[in-house]
Amino acid sequence: MKEDQTEKSTVSSSNQTQTLVRRFPGEAKNQREMRRINSIYGRIGLLRRVSEKSTKQSHTFLASHSFSTHGGYGGDGELQQNNSKVKIFDRDLKRIHRDRAAWLSSRQKNNSFVDAVADNLLDRLEDCKKTFPTALCLGGSVGAVKRLIRGRGGIEKLIMMDTSYDMIKSCRDADEGSLDNSIETSYLVGDEEFLPIKESSVDLIISSLGLHWTNDLPGSMIQCKLALKPDGLFLAAILGGETLKELRIACTLAHMEREGGISPRLSPLAQVRDAGNLLTRAGFSLPGVDVDEYVVKYKSALDLIEHLRAMGETNGLLERNKILNRETALATAAIYDSMFATEDGTIPATFQVIYMTGWREHSSHQQAKRRGSATVSFRDLHKKFGGQSES
Amino acid sequence: MVRLSRFLLKDAGNVIDKTLSEILVCPLSKQPLRFCEKTKSLVSDTIGVSFPMKDGIPCLVPKDGKILEEESEASKA
Repeated sequence: MKEDQTEKSTVSSSNQTQTLVRRFPGEAKNQREMRRINSIYGRIGLLRRVSEKSTKQSHTFLASHSFSTHGGYGGDGELQQNNSKVKIFDRDLKRIHRDRAAWLSSRQKNNSFVDAVADNLLDRLEDCKKTFPTALCLGGSVGAVKRLIRGRGGIEKLIMMDTSYDMIKSCRDADEGSLDNSIETSYLVGDEEFLPIKESSVDLIISSLGLHWTNDLPGSMIQCKLALKPDGLFLAAILGGETLKELRIACTLAHMEREGGISPRLSPLAQVRDAGNLLTRAGFSLPGVDVDEYVVKYKSALDLIEHLRAMGETNGLLERNKILNRETALATAAIYDSMFATEDGTIPATFQVIYMTGWREHSSHQQAKRRGSATVSFRDLHKKFGGQSES
Repeated sequence: MVRLSRFLLKDAGNVIDKTLSEILVCPLSKQPLRFCEKTKSLVSDTIGVSFPMKDGIPCLVPKDGKILEEESEASKA
């Protein structure tokens, strides 16, 4: 028990730490391994759990524990349990969805919504004078981003990462077929919540419509920030709270009518006000958020569902009801039609996309001045620049 | 020329892309990975897990990793 306490106090005072190893010189090799692993996770708070087990049976290797954020950033010191370990989305199911999306989207060539979002995101690269030689593209619509880069941002090396192997494979095959080989592309299968990228190694991270499926969004963003070089850029587009509100309403009504209760059909999505907080919490400097709403028209509700399937955006909540009654589905389509149809018979669906921008801190960024470093008092400024009333 | 070399690499399947080898680390412990020729996988020594490489593409999703028990001791010795 005493050992636990000394470990805890060491970890809370220093972030990087191999010092723990030195403190226990006479330990068996296994124990030392465990402590080194503990020190790495010390930032995250798996410490207490891991030190109890003495076998090498890596309990550290728990897929359900995300490289989460609590206590980590800002040197919180206290290893408190935080609800960032809550699992909302079923990540394995999302992999399967994305596999299916890879097969479906290879048949259907035009996906204008996804292309529009990727284009908008990449346009922001034109606004920066900086070039980004190494770039990482995280899940979502990796194919669209790769296709639409067109030399923006001066990207020379591109790393494509996605949780689904099929998606990456189809990107690579599409790439082999294309003539544009000016960008050196590498492919990788990985999870956004456990980013396998070394610290300070990429200049740019782009994620187009991928991060809204992570269980621990702040954690992912913190890992992205760490992977960025100083003065590196993080660009992300996620779906916002207003997305598919028509579908949400129609589903709820249909379910209430037919089944007498509702089960979650749409994932919880971020609000615009949260996006700013997320960026600051992850530690990005010069954060920027803006919102765009896209209204896509479909011939029928079933077309909408097909489109969602092709994008890999179907329901991935852990709490979902795995059974969908045919009656309920038809009722949803009917309600959608009757409530939201436009004059020409098509139905609209809203997609609210939140674009987030953040930079890894660098000495060239504007900083707030230190407290007490003011050289002019406000009262003098007030007098000089014409105050009508003395306050 | 680039495409030809990429084609050759794809067939070989067991050489990891240079860019990736500089950048990749273990997703769980963030420590460097070692490429094991025998099993054509990336091994993370600190936690004793090996990640497979399918067709030249490393799969670094934690779920895909295999825990190495006695093997790692033998290969380190």
